Amino acid sequence: MEKQLVLSVKNLTKQFGDNQVLKGIDLDVYEGDVVAIIGPSGCGKSTFLRCINCLEDPSGGSIMFDGEDLADMKVDINIHRQKIGMVFQQFNLFNNLCVLDNITLAPVTIAKKNKKALRAQGKTVADVKAEAEKRAMELLKAIGLEDKAAAYPSQISGGQKQRVAIVRALAMNPKVILFDEPTSALDPEMVGEVLDVMKELAKQGMTMVVVTHEMGFAREVSNRVIFIDDGVIAEENTPAEFFGNPQSERLKSFLAKVL
Amino acid sequence: MWNEFIKQFITLKGYENVLNGLWITVQIAVGGLLIGILIGTIIAVVRVMPKYKRLPRILDKICVCYIELFRGTPMVVQLLIGYWVLLPALGITVDSGVPVAIIMFGLNSGAYVSEIMRSGIQSVDPGQMEAGRAVGLTYATTMLKIVVPQAVKNILPTLGNEFIVLIKETSIVSFIAVTDLYKSFKQLGDPTYDYTMPYLMLALTYLIMVLLISWGVRALEAKMKKSER
Repeated sequence: MEKQLVLSVKNLTKQFGDNQVLKGIDLDVYEGDVVAIIGPSGCGKSTFLRCINCLEDPSGGSIMFDGEDLADMKVDINIHRQKIGMVFQQFNLFNNLCVLDNITLAPVTIAKKNKKALRAQGKTVADVKAEAEKRAMELLKAIGLEDKAAAYPSQISGGQKQRVAIVRALAMNPKVILFDEPTSALDPEMVGEVLDVMKELAKQGMTMVVVTHEMGFAREVSNRVIFIDDGVIAEENTPAEFFGNPQSERLKSFLAKVL
Repeated sequence: MWNEFIKQFITLKGYENVLNGLWITVQIAVGGLLIGILIGTIIAVVRVMPKYKRLPRILDKICVCYIELFRGTPMVVQLLIGYWVLLPALGITVDSGVPVAIIMFGLNSGAYVSEIMRSGIQSVDPGQMEAGRAVGLTYATTMLKIVVPQAVKNILPTLGNEFIVLIKETSIVSFIAVTDLYKSFKQLGDPTYDYTMPYLMLALTYLIMVLLISWGVRALEAKMKKSER
């Protein structure tokens, strides 16, 4: 069976002033793919990830998603972002909201605004809220944090925050989730619990693009590994080939340092 | 001195006039602050908006002019212009200067609150805005539901200070013939020209009000901290 193309990036460039950070990146992500992006710091891997959902506006190139080019300023990016989850290095949970509200804010707010769809489905705002809360509790239960629903972000640990952040992304039923170094800001003992959630997601067939320094995760969980160096994709391969038989000198020396 | 004050205040029912003046002072200060917070928040949000496009840049310029205008002239002059220049120019007649005072104090306070609010918004981690945008919320929704509530928490003590400044500054409204707290106490001394007790009592009343505000702000701060920690 042919896999569905979820995301297709063509010749993506990004410059900050005179500094050309991305020099033309092409990437096709298919349904169920787990793409690990690795590379030295400052190579542009995080910038690339942030360009995909236009947190940074791309300078050039195209990002096809759901039949539209996200790099086109005229496209309503808010609609598409609902279907592109994002998990940040610093978690970025909403500090003024409890865990449950962190998860339900976006689904409820967006459903409330779409009055036409609400009427068509014969639902009230209260129904939508109840549904979102039910789904949020199910998701929290799946990661063993249902007892933290009423807690504020400052009351839970880094690992718990990141797992809640993943659930917040999941609550929108995204087609793909972008992870921006999700374990880099965590204490070593908490890295495992977050990686376990991500492994479980991968097993369930979630499409993921993961910028990471966790070589173990890249090797075990991803089905494609990409090495970005100096704003271009320097090498791309299956994990076994990527780590077992690196082609370029640059990748060889990089792997020698991090493994 | 004391006996005369008691006579004016209680026997001749001066306290009714004073209570009335107190009520007017509170109305002007609270009304002014609410308008000020509304205007200040709008200006602050406009000023921190990304400036790639033309419209935010023009709005930003307008806001800067507004702030400079209201910070650059004395409050009493603004009050006089509002009452003696703007009202006739707009062809409006009023029974009392109170609504004019509320609006002018609100406009003035908005200029100060906008700068307080802007620093509050800038003190919130940019990651909060990014997280809101990344789940598909609009800039405005994220601002309103995520960033501004956190900003308000950060600036609460400064906002309390603005309220204190405001309530004391309302004592100039007698310039447009409003009988506020100051005027009502002054009238107690007018029959004898002995203002010792009226003015000391006036000072005490302002002091008590300001202490109540500081206490209220501190209580609110403690409550907001508790809800998040």
